[in-house]
Amino acid sequence: MLNLILNFVRACRTSDLRVSTAEVIDCVRHLELIDVLDEDQFRSALRANFAKSRREQSDFDRIYGLFFHDMRPDVELDANCDPQDTSKEEMHQAIEQMRREAGDDEIAQAIMDFLAGDPIPYLRQIHRLETQTEESSQALKSNLSQLSSRLEVMLRINKTRNRLVQFQQDDQAGGSGKGRSRNRGMAGLLMERLETANRMLTQETRPNNDGLKQVNTYDKKTLGIGERPFANLTEIEIVKMRTIIDQLVRKMKDIMSRRYATRNKGTMDVKKTLRAAQRYQGVPIEIVFRQRPLRKTRVVTLCDVSGSVWSAARFMLNMIYSMQDCFSDVKSFAFVAGPTNITDIFEKHDVNQAIEKVITDADINFNAHTDYGEMLTQFHRNHLNLLSKKTTLIIVGDARTNYQNPCEHLLDAMRAKCRRVIWLNPEPEQFWGSGDSEMNTYKAYCHEVRPCRNLNQLVNFIEDLVF
Amino acid sequence: MTVPDTEFRSVEDVQKKLEGVDYIPSREIATVVYLAAATQKPILVEGPAGAGKTELARAIARSLNLRKIRLQCYEGLDEAKSLYEWEYAKQLLYTQMIKEKINQVIATADTISEAVEKIAQQENAFFSERFLLARPLLQAITSDEQVVLLIDEIDKSDPEFEAFLLELLSDFQVSIPELGIWKAKHIPIVILTSNNYRDISDALKRRCIHLYIDYPKKDLEKRIVKLKIPGIEDRLADQLVNAISNIRALDLKKRPCISETIDWAKALMVLQINDLSPQALSDTLNVICKYQADTALVRESIDKVLK
Repeated sequence: MLNLILNFVRACRTSDLRVSTAEVIDCVRHLELIDVLDEDQFRSALRANFAKSRREQSDFDRIYGLFFHDMRPDVELDANCDPQDTSKEEMHQAIEQMRREAGDDEIAQAIMDFLAGDPIPYLRQIHRLETQTEESSQALKSNLSQLSSRLEVMLRINKTRNRLVQFQQDDQAGGSGKGRSRNRGMAGLLMERLETANRMLTQETRPNNDGLKQVNTYDKKTLGIGERPFANLTEIEIVKMRTIIDQLVRKMKDIMSRRYATRNKGTMDVKKTLRAAQRYQGVPIEIVFRQRPLRKTRVVTLCDVSGSVWSAARFMLNMIYSMQDCFSDVKSFAFVAGPTNITDIFEKHDVNQAIEKVITDADINFNAHTDYGEMLTQFHRNHLNLLSKKTTLIIVGDARTNYQNPCEHLLDAMRAKCRRVIWLNPEPEQFWGSGDSEMNTYKAYCHEVRPCRNLNQLVNFIEDLVF
Repeated sequence: MTVPDTEFRSVEDVQKKLEGVDYIPSREIATVVYLAAATQKPILVEGPAGAGKTELARAIARSLNLRKIRLQCYEGLDEAKSLYEWEYAKQLLYTQMIKEKINQVIATADTISEAVEKIAQQENAFFSERFLLARPLLQAITSDEQVVLLIDEIDKSDPEFEAFLLELLSDFQVSIPELGIWKAKHIPIVILTSNNYRDISDALKRRCIHLYIDYPKKDLEKRIVKLKIPGIEDRLADQLVNAISNIRALDLKKRPCISETIDWAKALMVLQINDLSPQALSDTLNVICKYQADTALVRESIDKVLK
């Protein structure tokens, strides 16, 4: 039993589920308390100990299904086999033979291990496939390397399938009546396992993101210009829009300061109280309270500045910067392919001027193709230290990656580092996931996603963020 | 006479006891609750709003006849609000009132250092439990009998508070600098709830066992409705639960939770509606939808809801 659990834990770890030794110990203690033959209880106990959030549960369920149902651990087989039965041996022989044929091909060996009942090397291969990043080449970019490695694994599975069929036929030619039917059972099991392996390769695994806050409805505060998509605004309307934003920001700051005035009474300040008491011969008539510090929210924005998205992003940045008093730290990046830090430009110049400057001066290659994977890779490599548990990461963009590798596992890694990940998409929701939009892929790794294409939606978002 | 049980004996026992206080747990909930109680581990409960996370804590407390202590988390919650605070005002007041006595104590002292020494001997009088204001966490630890400690919406609190909870949840002790380390007299049953506003740190997760409570399946929800409203007709309950589960599948701002199902059922009973027609649904929609936009959306898709 212990070995079975330990093997299962290894399988979990290979698929990036973090299971600590303490949790394994807890789990084994728990299993002693329940009826392990009742599968509901057994699964609940494992799940409660190994998958500690809703997001991990789908991963857990997948591995659980694979390990305890699809693979049917060898324990069961042993029970059914009578001692004279040689089919198990033959199966091992067949696998051994294929193993020899495969030589030191790592993937083929992993498939053989999978057939023999040890899914871990194969899980490792799959995991490697999923987190593969492109070799960074400046000239030519594609996501072919991931696809081709998938194909390689698939070819090997096909080869193994052919070999299995061959074994079966050889066997039918030679074997005697009773042994043959048993052998067929064995071959059937191997075939089943091979199909499972194939399925694992082709299905996409995404974490279950039930907790995702997806905001579609919003209060229609200002009609007319408030409902016009940013992309359709004329020059005159842009100027008008800025005035409206200025007004709104002033109003919101008012509300903020009022809120803090009532809220900032903290605990009693002993030093100050005693000092005040000196005036009344040490009688503490006045009690002084500590001021509560402003909330330390840090914001990191990643802004897509390519073409159509920029029209929305400029207002977005405008808003965030006007509200800067409410955050202790704001860092901004603009990107087309790689992220460029534009925080400096915003600190030195007036907001509107700064926005123009980003387009003209900043070191951004506007001719490149938008590549979110590249952006995430570079941000992950160079700027990950900006993210902490107090940071809200806001990504503004349409998630159109020009069919490049989206590298969503990097977004997952970034999510683990920060407080919240919010994605604002200037496209209406019905276009998400169409064409080269990877929105549905990225969605699984965000805390909140919103379409944000007009003023009302933007104001709604800022209100939610600040209050 | 049966003595009220103060512990769970098996998974079935949990199920029986919770049902005894009108809470119908799924098999998974019962298993996790039993394991947590048996091994004294905190439970981290996740799930959509209104699926019965807080209610679970309440039910456990009721079924075991224990006191429930609740700590509501929010941004800016700190030790002073959650664990303990010295009552400075009271201390200062007392100092004033017993000024005479203090003068007496130091009357015999010749030098200042001697006087300080004498006052120092009395320090215990000022940093004693008398001046300690116990907040929920300290109450739970120092209580003379076992309690159920509910730490609600832990995801709303700051990361610092989470880190501070670690000592409490792994060793069930707190350190108060002036008084030393206090160990729990009885280890409380701890339940933390989270709405997934942000991810909980790994360190905290490691100390808890995890439970996800979803909206109940149709037959379970029907049982809950029939339990809470015994007079309801079988057919109406079926229609009701069916409609609610269809409404939950819509893209709403706020999905109706179990208590709203029950409120709705009560409303239908009061109005003596025995058959859920589109008209009846439309009339009573305010009970389940709390936003104008949601009400409109349900009205639009009324055929789908009553299918």
